[in-house]
Amino acid sequence: MGIESVELRAPLLDLEEREEGFLRLQPGRVTELAGVPGTGLTRLGLRLLAAPSRIAPVVALDTRGWISPEAAWETGVIPENLVIVRCDQPQIWPKVTAALLEGVRALYAEVPVGAKEQDLRRLAALARARSVAVAMRPMGKSLPSGVAHLRLRALGVTWEGADRGHGRLKRRRLVLEASGKGASGVTRRFEVEDEGSDIVRVVSDVVVGETRRAIG
Amino acid sequence: MWSLGRPDAPSDDPVLIVDDRVAGATDDVLAAGVGLGMPRREAEALAPFATVLTRDPGEESRRFDPVVEVIEDLIPRVEMVSPGLVFVPIDGAVRFYGGEDALAERVVKELDRLVGHERGGHALVGVADGPFAARWAAATTDVGRPNVITDTVGFLAGLDLVTLRESANGDELIDTFRWLGVSTLGELARLPREALVTRFGSPGLLAHRLASGEDRFVDPREIPPEFAVDAGFEEPLETLDEVAFAARALAERLLKGLRASGVAPHRVSILAEAAAGEPRERIWRSADPFTEKALSDRVWWQLRAWVESGGVPGGITRLRIAPADLSDEGRQLGLLQDETSRIESERALARAQALLGPDGVLQGRAQGGRMPQERVAWSRWGEPLVEEDRDASAPWPGATPSPSPALVPPRLQPLEVEWDEGLPARVRLGTRWEPVLTWSGPWRLSGRWWAGERDADRYQLVTSAGAFLCVVSEGRAFLAGVYD
Repeated sequence: MGIESVELRAPLLDLEEREEGFLRLQPGRVTELAGVPGTGLTRLGLRLLAAPSRIAPVVALDTRGWISPEAAWETGVIPENLVIVRCDQPQIWPKVTAALLEGVRALYAEVPVGAKEQDLRRLAALARARSVAVAMRPMGKSLPSGVAHLRLRALGVTWEGADRGHGRLKRRRLVLEASGKGASGVTRRFEVEDEGSDIVRVVSDVVVGETRRAIG
Repeated sequence: MWSLGRPDAPSDDPVLIVDDRVAGATDDVLAAGVGLGMPRREAEALAPFATVLTRDPGEESRRFDPVVEVIEDLIPRVEMVSPGLVFVPIDGAVRFYGGEDALAERVVKELDRLVGHERGGHALVGVADGPFAARWAAATTDVGRPNVITDTVGFLAGLDLVTLRESANGDELIDTFRWLGVSTLGELARLPREALVTRFGSPGLLAHRLASGEDRFVDPREIPPEFAVDAGFEEPLETLDEVAFAARALAERLLKGLRASGVAPHRVSILAEAAAGEPRERIWRSADPFTEKALSDRVWWQLRAWVESGGVPGGITRLRIAPADLSDEGRQLGLLQDETSRIESERALARAQALLGPDGVLQGRAQGGRMPQERVAWSRWGEPLVEEDRDASAPWPGATPSPSPALVPPRLQPLEVEWDEGLPARVRLGTRWEPVLTWSGPWRLSGRWWAGERDADRYQLVTSAGAFLCVVSEGRAFLAGVYD
């Protein structure tokens, strides 16, 4: 008897855990946050620092001087352990990033436009060698292939709560696409809900399930 | 400071007392170039003729206890640092005894009486502003002559850099200062603090503060009583093994509880109740926040001293350890799982600061305000966080609601918005116009008219390219934040 597809709860649970895992930084790995400005990736990047900030100082490397620690605190980053490093000079950005990778446990770094591929590869190697968990947010084009272990690309964002003058912004839904080695080479889409606090939920029902054929 | 003799030392031979560093030495050993605090191997190389004895802090603590009791009878709140060294805050006692000189003379006199009973001991007494200066005032005086320093900064200026060895964390920093041509605390204090912070980070800042007469920053805060830990014993503890086990367990419990709240103590009070006798209490102090080992050691030394000297007759029936000071530094350390991590982070941030300047590495503290720009008080990393001048816990009616914009320009940025019958219709982003999909607001922001501020309206604008916080004042729109 041929079966078109198999639906089992357990694999779905695994899938959900995997997506939750996409929202955790891993020591020695670079996670790329790719997407156009305005899609919520700054907040997501700061949120990735929340867990490591519970045990050690974490750094947000800000190339525009606009990152707000208040948003980071809302996502659960420990205030005393958050340091904001402002670097608006692209020519010294690689040196500053390397200096930080030598000592901090976790880093969210905006990557300035025009950052050299060679520098990015060296920084990724340094992050591996020093076991630093890194999230990189390119301001220009994407990171060169092989730099990021996991690539999270924002596909779209929708806001709830505001209605032609009434209410206020309450909930953001961000559709992400995970790819790269960190996603086992399989491109997956999932959605996260952000209610402005440290609660970020993975909504797995938007996952595009792959129909697998089997014989039984 | 009390010189602790060592009864088991050979009476006429040169003696060196060590743990991993030199803790004590006879005059002939010191004359060979050995200094207190010097690494053990270096000292042994300089004085190969000396008999080397290993330090026993528990025994030293026991022998030092009568000295502390004498001081406690004169001045309350004695703080033990290590066997042989105590600090005593003297503000109240000075008025009672009629001045610092009179008080210091009295302490010396009472301790001299003790010398008659305790073989080998002698007291060095110093009075100055802060523990660091007082310690070195004592260390640089003669037996029987209390050193009362009236000009603490002037006194410190003449001290050699080696005095920073214990407080500023090691020889490397001191060697670097010497290499730069700085040899006294006065020369160090004259260097610009910002330059030192940029180059050396937190250790540099601490060294500069000490050299300038500003002792270690401690931010006493209200300590909830539940932070204290205690244990009662139906069978009184009488043997040293039982006491050691209880000391370690209680110290671990205290620090575990504090760590969960993200704090660590600089001072602890140790209280023991005896089966037959008065309760005993002693305060121990540390320049750095206590680690588990450091605290366990001190609790053990103290209890051993009480048990062996008969200070807790009938055995210990109840033990209590309460933290007495929780500092900002303690808070930071408490959150870290290991010391190495903290040091490495500080080095990395100091290097980044050297590349970017002191204003490139920042920390924020929440403060009150209605606009996102107002709600963070910034301070340079490595310097004390600025005092919040607006209470963050106050209600702040009219404050922009959460979620906060993740990107907040330091100043409002001009923004082009097209309005359609008073409602936002399009926003110019770069070279293109984005239609406004929906919005919330306006929320009125009434400025302080007496300070020249004008009223404004705030809107949250949602477009397909993101959401923005927009301020409209006198017909002009400004960008106040991006919900990125």
